[in-house]
Amino acid sequence: MYSRLKTSYIVYGVVLLVLLSLPIYAESDFIVALMPDGLSGSALLHVGILIFMFAYLSSSWNILGGFAGQLSLGHAAFFGIGAYTSSLFYVHFGLTPWIGMIGGAGLAALVGYGLGFVSYKYGLKGPFFALVTIAFAEILRLLFLYFDFTGGPLGLLIPLASEYTFWEYQFLEKEPYYYIALGLMLFGILISAIVSTSKFGYYLRAIRESEEAAEALGIHSMRNKMHAVALSAAMTALGGTFYAQYTQYIVPDDVIKIALSIEIILFAVIGGSGLVMGPVIGTFLLVPVGEMSRVIFEGGGAGASLVALINENIPAGEKFGKYMDYLSSGGGGGLAILLYGVILIVVCLVLPRGVLPAFKKLGAKMEQRNG
Amino acid sequence: MADILLEANGVTKRFGGLVAVNQASITVEKGKITGLIGPNGAGKTTFFNLISGFMNPDEGDIIYKGQRINGMRPSNICKLGMTRTFQIVKPFPELSVLENVMIGAFNNTANTARARQKALDVLELVEYSEFASISAGALPVAGRKRVEVAKALATEPELLLLDEVLAGLTPTEMWGMIEVLGKVRDAGISIVIVEHVMAVIMSLCDHIVVINNGENIASGSPQEISDNPAVLEAYLGADFNANEVMG
Repeated sequence: MYSRLKTSYIVYGVVLLVLLSLPIYAESDFIVALMPDGLSGSALLHVGILIFMFAYLSSSWNILGGFAGQLSLGHAAFFGIGAYTSSLFYVHFGLTPWIGMIGGAGLAALVGYGLGFVSYKYGLKGPFFALVTIAFAEILRLLFLYFDFTGGPLGLLIPLASEYTFWEYQFLEKEPYYYIALGLMLFGILISAIVSTSKFGYYLRAIRESEEAAEALGIHSMRNKMHAVALSAAMTALGGTFYAQYTQYIVPDDVIKIALSIEIILFAVIGGSGLVMGPVIGTFLLVPVGEMSRVIFEGGGAGASLVALINENIPAGEKFGKYMDYLSSGGGGGLAILLYGVILIVVCLVLPRGVLPAFKKLGAKMEQRNG
Repeated sequence: MADILLEANGVTKRFGGLVAVNQASITVEKGKITGLIGPNGAGKTTFFNLISGFMNPDEGDIIYKGQRINGMRPSNICKLGMTRTFQIVKPFPELSVLENVMIGAFNNTANTARARQKALDVLELVEYSEFASISAGALPVAGRKRVEVAKALATEPELLLLDEVLAGLTPTEMWGMIEVLGKVRDAGISIVIVEHVMAVIMSLCDHIVVINNGENIASGSPQEISDNPAVLEAYLGADFNANEVMG
């Protein structure tokens, strides 16, 4: 047990070192040669930023959805609250997003308490709580579209700072965003680890397993669940601010969309929900697959005709080669999503508890064989 | 007069037209084991749910240590020092036995290391330490019942409400559990126990309350209860004549 724990720490440590040093060699000839045609090392950093951000968001969701077992399908709402709060403060008052994001997190926590109170007061559990969170996120999206102060459907453009400093949370290069995103992810892991080993974490797991049994042991289930919603919401809001600063343009249909809520959950579920490293591992597996399949299958979009190719009278081997050319030149636009979907289905069927528990089992087995 | 820990007076609970518990009462003295018995469907578990806060009585008072606890949250009642177990045991199946018990132990500490130590002590007491790392969902019935008792004990209750912790056990398992309950009493914890196994009730309890159709029909020492014609009638039917059968 102890040695296995140590091994996993060593693996995590090595991965962290690689990630920390990635920007240094991202533009090296070796990496560029490995990248698909036309992509530079900064694309690699972009993928890294996406991975860190989603790992962080997924970890935030995991505190509510994984530890406490409260299925929220509306976390995009908290993401949007974070993105809009800090951005509006910046646009209207010139307040640095570093402080604005704390306001966003606070507001998201308050909203989370409210949402939790209303839901749990009326005993909404499982799928009913999930429906409330979807409805809440959709209503919020429509409100943000409707009101003028949010920029409505045109969205909010974050004005360029006169000079790029850390204090402005705006940068020309990708590297600072890369390290901020990495920091966010580490922060998410740290909070998850603290929660997981604390009384609060034990109480959340107890509530997930049996609310009645938890109450009988002196656990105020409603209060603990509300704390979980608020903490998870506040963390998610910080991710929203990061996204707004990274893209410098936010619009309700982009930051409060259901697809975002779902994606966050997928990473956690695939990796292993309710575990500290589950969401992180899920994100590290899925985001690269998604990005890679997009690059490979949705490239430039050369206008070859698939029908003509099928009807062409050439040897099978040559035909296959031409199919690959067709795909890699941008044919079959939806293939990336299809591939992504197939991977999800296979993982869900083969590893219903996620990848991380399967890894752990494998590790235990190997250890038994060795010793 | 001995110290009275818990007193329920004239407690009534209706489900629509059905009166599940009707003017039932129970008095629990400190340091004693009080048995609550009655035929199937007598309303024992409902009475238990009322006392422990899982249901709200329609009438009557439930007084714990001089404080009226009607309508209080179960978690707050637990905080006052009264913890229950469930007839249909409710382990936290994905968690290990140790973690299950630790969750009870967190009732009196926020420190994980201290909760772990407390949980280990309790597992020692209920003689279940060797299974600490097994996940609770994988245990057989006897093990689940042990864990159920251990979880409740870890909250450091003054009064333990046990709902059929012996049901479904083999005789060997049962006597093991009885030994544990004896140790619990010796540790100064008062117990209310709902049970079907008469031999156990008679040997373990200091005081017995019998209910039938949701009403009190008798209370007293084990000896008084076993001689009570109303109790015999409730269990065996009105036409039953013990002397005839016994010859």
